[in-house]
Amino acid sequence: MTDIAAPTRWKRLNLEIRDHMPFWQQSIAVAAAFAVGLIISVVILMISGVGLADLWNEFVVFIFTSPKNISAVLVQAAPLIIVGLSAGIAFKARFWNIGIEGQVIFGAIGATLVATYDIGPEFLRLPLMAIFAAACGMLWMALPVFLKLRLQVNEIISTLLMNYIAFNFLLHLLYGPWQDPVSAFPHSEQFESFERLAPLGWQSLNYSLVIAIALVAFCAWLLLSSRYGFLLNFVHSNAKMARAVGIRVALVTLFAALASGALSGIAGFAISAGIESRMTQSFFIGFGFSGILIAFLARNNPLAIVLVALFVSTLMIAGQSLQVFYQIPFAMVQLIQAIIVICVAASEFFIRHRIRWVE
Amino acid sequence: MDFLINWLANIPGFAVPFALGAMGLIICEKSGVLNLGAEGYLLIGAMAGAGSVLSFGGYPMLALGIAALASAALALVFAVLVIFLRVNQVISGLTIVFLAQGLTSLIAGKQGWTNKAFTGLADLDFGPLSDIPLIGPVLFRQDPMVYLTILAFFAVSYVMNRTHTGLRLRAVGENPEASDAAGINVMMMRLAAVLVGALFLGLAGGYLTVVVSKIWVDGMAGGRGWIAIALVIFARWRLWRALAGAVLFGCIEALIPRVAAIGIQVPQYFVLMLPYVVTLGVMVWTSLRKDTLANDPSALGRPFVREERR
Repeated sequence: MTDIAAPTRWKRLNLEIRDHMPFWQQSIAVAAAFAVGLIISVVILMISGVGLADLWNEFVVFIFTSPKNISAVLVQAAPLIIVGLSAGIAFKARFWNIGIEGQVIFGAIGATLVATYDIGPEFLRLPLMAIFAAACGMLWMALPVFLKLRLQVNEIISTLLMNYIAFNFLLHLLYGPWQDPVSAFPHSEQFESFERLAPLGWQSLNYSLVIAIALVAFCAWLLLSSRYGFLLNFVHSNAKMARAVGIRVALVTLFAALASGALSGIAGFAISAGIESRMTQSFFIGFGFSGILIAFLARNNPLAIVLVALFVSTLMIAGQSLQVFYQIPFAMVQLIQAIIVICVAASEFFIRHRIRWVE
Repeated sequence: MDFLINWLANIPGFAVPFALGAMGLIICEKSGVLNLGAEGYLLIGAMAGAGSVLSFGGYPMLALGIAALASAALALVFAVLVIFLRVNQVISGLTIVFLAQGLTSLIAGKQGWTNKAFTGLADLDFGPLSDIPLIGPVLFRQDPMVYLTILAFFAVSYVMNRTHTGLRLRAVGENPEASDAAGINVMMMRLAAVLVGALFLGLAGGYLTVVVSKIWVDGMAGGRGWIAIALVIFARWRLWRALAGAVLFGCIEALIPRVAAIGIQVPQYFVLMLPYVVTLGVMVWTSLRKDTLANDPSALGRPFVREERR
């Protein structure tokens, strides 16, 4: 009799669905993913020829030791916060608003319309610009949301196509009727001092930040404690169930989408009246994706949106100096954002699943 | 008449990227994976194509191959995200677009490929055939990719509808749970579909630089990926209808540079809006006519989670 060899025991990975993970564990998972994303980005930057010490200088020392740069980050953060809110409220209704850039463009067009044709008395000029901006942003959203609710046209593609249409319309205005008569450059004429958001008195800070914070407060109230926020949450978790208990899902979606368009429009106003003092050819670039990213990373929470927006804004300001001093294309900023989204999205897997070795 | 011949002769060149792109998307989406990253694959293919022509000093066909491979490499990231990690397919697709925008601009900028013209793929000349009036320039004076695209449509159509592999692919997109029970490896099937689809999308992107523009400019896909996605919806995931749609968009794109040339006074930026407006129109038209023979993959956009199989 010979011994029968014991069969080799193979360990294999087994995947289990996890129903719930405590909040602190989720936070650790997301933070770890965030760190991995940053490390990958740093490696890419180093391959592109920026040393580790330079990175430390540009991203930490340069930004956080000079009041001028801190204020630049805050100024840049204002429109980012607003587009983040815009994306967040649309995503809450499971309406994929990919057309933020188009709505930002139309917001700026609305504001510039008021400024260029001197509509209204001087003291009412800024509020009118803001209202026109919100209305134009909303208007630009009206068609996709109508098509979505009436004809089930996919809003991802329709809002995205509207971006290209808005951009070509912007070029039409800037190379045509709205071209700056003073310099003949393809941007609108400079806004008068009463058409710009007033400075707050510290560095370059201006009222766009106040507007952004007020909108955060409003959205926090709307999403977290109003009756509408409750309905929106219901639709977000289970639209079928919401319809079954008599919630008018289409109306809730319509409101969220239009509010999203209006917010993007106000972001366009904040950029043109708060940063550029005119409408340029490229003021909107990057805000669409950043808005989506901010809302995604902040899980549509208005308060978390502020934090993520500050991070993205730091990235943008540092990216500008990388562009000047190290010839790194500004697209690097977009690349870093995309890498971080991929890492954080991947971390969801570990939040929802448990991996175990079993025999 | 000259205008007409000139226009007709240019249509295939403009239609090929849409046709190849739509075909890649159909292969991918028939397996149940919603692919919103088309624009990204076009960009990476276009940049890789331009880059390899510039680096190797020619060999346009090789460049097209590299374009396809580069796109498949990017698709691998997407596939890992949506198939194995079950990340939301909308977010992943969008992120791939933005990743590709950043990556192509960074690499091309660093390598000095941006805005650098080169000689790409030349048109074929069939001798006397090409000199036939009207028919010659339209049918027999195109670049090789035009003819290869038509062949590819026959090949893919055959594989999808007449072979076992095609049946499995469609089954996975229709009902992954049943396919799994029938012994098909759902994950691997989807992985293959995403990668093969990306090969075609990358080829479409490479075509844009190597054959059409013969220069790389940042973001030069110009929304063609999104138009291809709309085309697939318009075609209800049917290959031949997608080809017809691609030809339609080829007609429009070939018309744009010719409108100004024949002296019609239209503001140029409104002409440039045309493809996007028509795409919107096509989407509305598609949703208005209710297709009873729905051909949509039922599991589109839904990750397959074996642990939750019932």
